[in-house]
Amino acid sequence: MNPLVETLLVVGKRLGWMLLTLWVVYTFSFFLMRAVPGGPFASDKKVPPAIQRQLEARYHMDEPLPMQYVRHLTNAAVFFDFGPSMRMEDYTVNEVIAQGFPVSATLGIIALVLALLFGMTAGVISAVRRNTIFDFGFMLLATVGIAVPNFVLASLSIILIVFWLQLVPAAGWGSIQQALLPALCVAAPYAAYIARLTRAGMLEVLNLDYIRTAYAKGLAPRTVIVKHALRGAILPVVSYIGPATAGILTGSLVLERIFNVPGMGSFFIDAAMQRDYTLALGMVVVYTALLLVMNTLVDLSYAIIDPRVKME
Amino acid sequence: MSHPVRKAFPWLAIALGLAALTWALAFERLPTADFTYDNGNEIQTADPAKATGQPEHRVLNALFEGLLRSMPPERWQDKFAPGENVPMTPEPAMAERYEVSPDGLTYTFHLRKDAQWSNGESVMAEDFAWSWRRTLHPETAGKYAYQLYYLKGGEEYNTAHVDVGTEVEVELPTRRDPLQPFPRGTLLLGKVEEIRKGAKPTVPADASDEQKERIEAKWKDQWVYFVRLASIRRSGWDRARHRFRKGDLMAVSKDPEQSQFIYAGGTLRALHILPDFESTVGVKAESTQKLVVTLKAPTPFFNELVAFYPYFPVNRRCVEDHGSPNWTKPENMVCNGPFTMEFRRIRDRIRFVKNPLYWDAYNVRLETVDALVVRSETTTLNMFLDDQIDWGTQIPVSMLPTIKKRLGTQFKTAPELTVYFYRINTTRPGLDNPLVRRALNLAIDKKNICDVVTQAGDMPATAVVPPGLPGYTSATGSEFNPEAARKLLEEAGYPGGQGLPEVEIMYNDLDIHKTIAERVQQLWRENLGIKTRLRGIEWNSYLSAQDKLDYSVCRAGWVGDYPDPNTFLDMWTSTSGQNQTGWKSKPFDQLIAEAGREDDPQKRLQMLHDAEQILLDESPILPIYWRVSKNLVKPHVQGWFLNAQDTHPLNLIWIDKHVRDAAGVRR
Repeated sequence: MNPLVETLLVVGKRLGWMLLTLWVVYTFSFFLMRAVPGGPFASDKKVPPAIQRQLEARYHMDEPLPMQYVRHLTNAAVFFDFGPSMRMEDYTVNEVIAQGFPVSATLGIIALVLALLFGMTAGVISAVRRNTIFDFGFMLLATVGIAVPNFVLASLSIILIVFWLQLVPAAGWGSIQQALLPALCVAAPYAAYIARLTRAGMLEVLNLDYIRTAYAKGLAPRTVIVKHALRGAILPVVSYIGPATAGILTGSLVLERIFNVPGMGSFFIDAAMQRDYTLALGMVVVYTALLLVMNTLVDLSYAIIDPRVKME
Repeated sequence: MSHPVRKAFPWLAIALGLAALTWALAFERLPTADFTYDNGNEIQTADPAKATGQPEHRVLNALFEGLLRSMPPERWQDKFAPGENVPMTPEPAMAERYEVSPDGLTYTFHLRKDAQWSNGESVMAEDFAWSWRRTLHPETAGKYAYQLYYLKGGEEYNTAHVDVGTEVEVELPTRRDPLQPFPRGTLLLGKVEEIRKGAKPTVPADASDEQKERIEAKWKDQWVYFVRLASIRRSGWDRARHRFRKGDLMAVSKDPEQSQFIYAGGTLRALHILPDFESTVGVKAESTQKLVVTLKAPTPFFNELVAFYPYFPVNRRCVEDHGSPNWTKPENMVCNGPFTMEFRRIRDRIRFVKNPLYWDAYNVRLETVDALVVRSETTTLNMFLDDQIDWGTQIPVSMLPTIKKRLGTQFKTAPELTVYFYRINTTRPGLDNPLVRRALNLAIDKKNICDVVTQAGDMPATAVVPPGLPGYTSATGSEFNPEAARKLLEEAGYPGGQGLPEVEIMYNDLDIHKTIAERVQQLWRENLGIKTRLRGIEWNSYLSAQDKLDYSVCRAGWVGDYPDPNTFLDMWTSTSGQNQTGWKSKPFDQLIAEAGREDDPQKRLQMLHDAEQILLDESPILPIYWRVSKNLVKPHVQGWFLNAQDTHPLNLIWIDKHVRDAAGVRR
């Protein structure tokens, strides 16, 4: 069969599965959320029952649950309209996502670049200077980076970088300086992991015959490492970028709060806590879609990079 | 996979990465505002008809203005010490003066001639009448609509309470946009001559209150109203061209499909059947500058209420053109306060700019203000220490001792109109006995809780109503007395706690509530021999459990809506939704109702005092402490003062640049 047709077929099949998964996740979240006590209009100053009914009518919550489900699902699936947010009444869910996503994406991209930069550099140095103080130092740092929870890292870095060195502002969003610290904290565990992957990959490659040949040809060590060895060693790192991207985009709830970054992570938790049914559902769908798309992209890129992998 | 694709892939990936990074690093530089403060959580809405809450209060006070505005006395700086609460009173704002009729029922407000909207139109009496109508309209679904129930007919309009003989406005489904209650469809005005209700549906015996209400509401929708038509106000979007004549008797219903079983003659579908606003609700624009307001009962704190945001006006044209909620977008919003909204970023900030058309713009000294959304107290503290904000409204309680020591006078604190208390479920066996409840109250060492647990300078609450309300002395409560508590418990038949069913303290799981609950648990065990369990649950579940009386003891707090004891007392009547204790007292209800009708201020306060005494004697709630306000304010912030409501009008604040520069503030 034509390889292009084959690829399209695989992609189409994946797409079908993605939609099915999305629907299952959506349905499950919809009913699970309604089963939890409390509602979007609950507050310590209770509204009179008459006004409570008016509020429910405004969001069609006076209808039977199956009808609400069909209405919301139709709007979401057909028109990509998740309805108005119930706790941020001035916005629709789509507007909230449209404002939050670019912020999360910005933070994610900077973090990913930092992670790659630091991780790969440390990994290469560790592998080349194996069993030296550099190797031990970087690998110790990597272990710490993976083990230390991000809020501890954030607090420490605020004390050190904000209050002692006075290099960047403590929190907020709107400039590169403000993005730097949260991005570093997001990046740390990923950088650590990438460093270990790179080191392992390099060690394997450095023992291969073609590297020995390259040295024997009289090439400069720098050329051998950067041009020949790194290319072979980078594969595991590339395959890790996919899940890392998904993880970075979804997983910075705590950091967004500490550094007051208006990204999507904290919307998710807050929406669920405040029973903002529509916003929470929108978030669930976006995150699920993001994860599925990232995984698919990674699988596709495997097939491109590594000839041994066949798409199925 | 073909060779060229594989070869190009790394380069493509790198190019993509670089493009993404370039996009990510392109930040739009934002000029720093004159004044930046932490406004707490994201506001729910900037619509005065729908908002509730403290962050919303600060934002709405900056953007809008009511007939009156709460202001400190002239030259307050000279009259009050720095650590003292400055009393705030409602001063002329959109209204330049007002008169009250001798019976206290009619308020006549005279609007100032130079009052303008931010689009240059004049603010007129009709704007208020229309805005209040919108706030009370059932479809607006304002959570604070009940704050307008003090108006004559306000509650009836909001709850669509219509009887035979009521003048009504019947809205036909002929709106421009069916989802927007304003602009409205064709209105038929007339008098109800008959209501045919049909058989009342049978409610299953095991139905919850909510289900019962729902069944009842559905039934009410089927009612057929016979209305004698007096006049018609046709909407511009009415294409139906109904042929109505004055004097016709019309049959209308909100649910014509179902109502045909009640009346077979055919009914006209109505979106709303409400009491006629203009003839039944006590607000009338007599001229462009004169607004006459009629109240249900003399309400001595009504001047405080008109300074409160549910009473703020909105611009009719703006709301009708853009619809709700789109009119609140910064590019659409028309407002009448000291500031306008330049932009709003979700979970980031609202940027205010001075409104040059504001009548008192001369005295507004800040050009730009940033109201930041900050969701963590620690972040607030960090930003304050790092000079990123000039005023912080959230303080990490665990850090208080350090903050007090290190920041000195930048930490501002004073008594606030807030009480922290425990609700008791008086329907539970054991707790249904007032003696037991009083024993529980006497066994709590509140001073110890304030000194050791909260550590903020909160005051042990001996009564319910916080001190500091002019003219009011709280009822006499009781001090910590374990001896008397034990005696009361014995009297109740539970000597040494023997035989008393286990008590459980429920709270929403925050550290501060947990620590207090643990302390109370210990005090009850030591002083009364009572075993207590603790149940910390998540906020919404806690609210729901409290509402369903699914608890034995639970923590709660109440912030006064207006500076009057009534706001702390009328919530405990048998019919109040805030009661949530199962406690009912006829004499208490009667006192509150009478106080609401009393026009002599002295007598009224005495009645409220007596009511509070009943509340304390019966102890359905255990007041623990009166909270103090906690703020962090930089020394260069001027015009910021302490007050019992913990409100700090942005229009009075200014920056002393000399102090700021001398302190070396990095900006």
